[in-house]
Amino acid sequence: MVRRMMGMTRADAAVRVALVAALSIGMGSSCSRADATGAIRIETSRAGPDTRLTLVAAPGFKLNARLKPALELPDGSLLRFDSPLLTPDSAYFAGPPSAVLSGRHGRVRGTLRASICDPREAVCRSVIVDL
Amino acid sequence: MARPTALLLLALVSAGAGALALETARRAQAQNPLTLARGARPAPAWSNTSWLNTDHPLALDELRGKVVLLNFWVFTCHNCTNTVPSLVDFDHQYRDQGLTLVGIHTPEFPPYAGEHDRGNVERALARYHIEYPNAQDNDARTWNLYGIRFWPSFVLIDKRGVIRYEGYGEFHLHDASYRLWDERIRRLLAE
Repeated sequence: MVRRMMGMTRADAAVRVALVAALSIGMGSSCSRADATGAIRIETSRAGPDTRLTLVAAPGFKLNARLKPALELPDGSLLRFDSPLLTPDSAYFAGPPSAVLSGRHGRVRGTLRASICDPREAVCRSVIVDL
Repeated sequence: MARPTALLLLALVSAGAGALALETARRAQAQNPLTLARGARPAPAWSNTSWLNTDHPLALDELRGKVVLLNFWVFTCHNCTNTVPSLVDFDHQYRDQGLTLVGIHTPEFPPYAGEHDRGNVERALARYHIEYPNAQDNDARTWNLYGIRFWPSFVLIDKRGVIRYEGYGEFHLHDASYRLWDERIRRLLAE
């Protein structure tokens, strides 16, 4: 379970809500997924001996490519999501950005940050989710 | 007997319709990104210490008598940088008439993303030909002080230091939103 942080003030957004049910990763050939917020979700899959995390924006939202989404891991290290597929202006991801987490993980923990842009409102806002 | 009842009913229906119309208008205004329904109120004084394009930290008090347009932005936001040409245009048109544009550069991410770095902000100002003062709002204090929620956002303050207009969202030279902000600036300059 995750909570949406969109549409709140930064102070509100800073009050993060813990992910009660940690993401479970299917280690078979299929991907597992968990909703991250109303605007993004995380998909997880195997990447050889490692775990691939992929961010998918909900229809109508774009992920800001100038500010690559980040997963702050409990050990203090940082995973940045990226994709070679960008919109022509390089402003947004045209394909879902992903990151590889070393090793296989039954649970993913950390703080996920993404900048989500809504073309209908022509604004960006931050999403912060504790996993 | 029937007539007073009918009149009472008519009054109730009218009152209900009036209330509905008011609520509809309130909601429409609240959802309009160009006109946030927070009402006029004194602009809170910011206390940012790191400034660019000015030789000293600007204080709200010293801008009394000026019309002030605050732009909350960050260089990693495409909607923000797309709006900059319009703001530069306002600066060129109205600076001599008493408009002071102030950029409030508020990062979205922690420092590892580079948005807090003064050099990166300086490069962005040069890239987008921004000559008006900009404050680094790295702790988001001014963002929170003004209750901002989106990048980019705008706050227009009159010569007495009162917030008169607020809104958010990208706009472009001479589009409808540009014309609306332009008209608001001219109105406040004329007061």
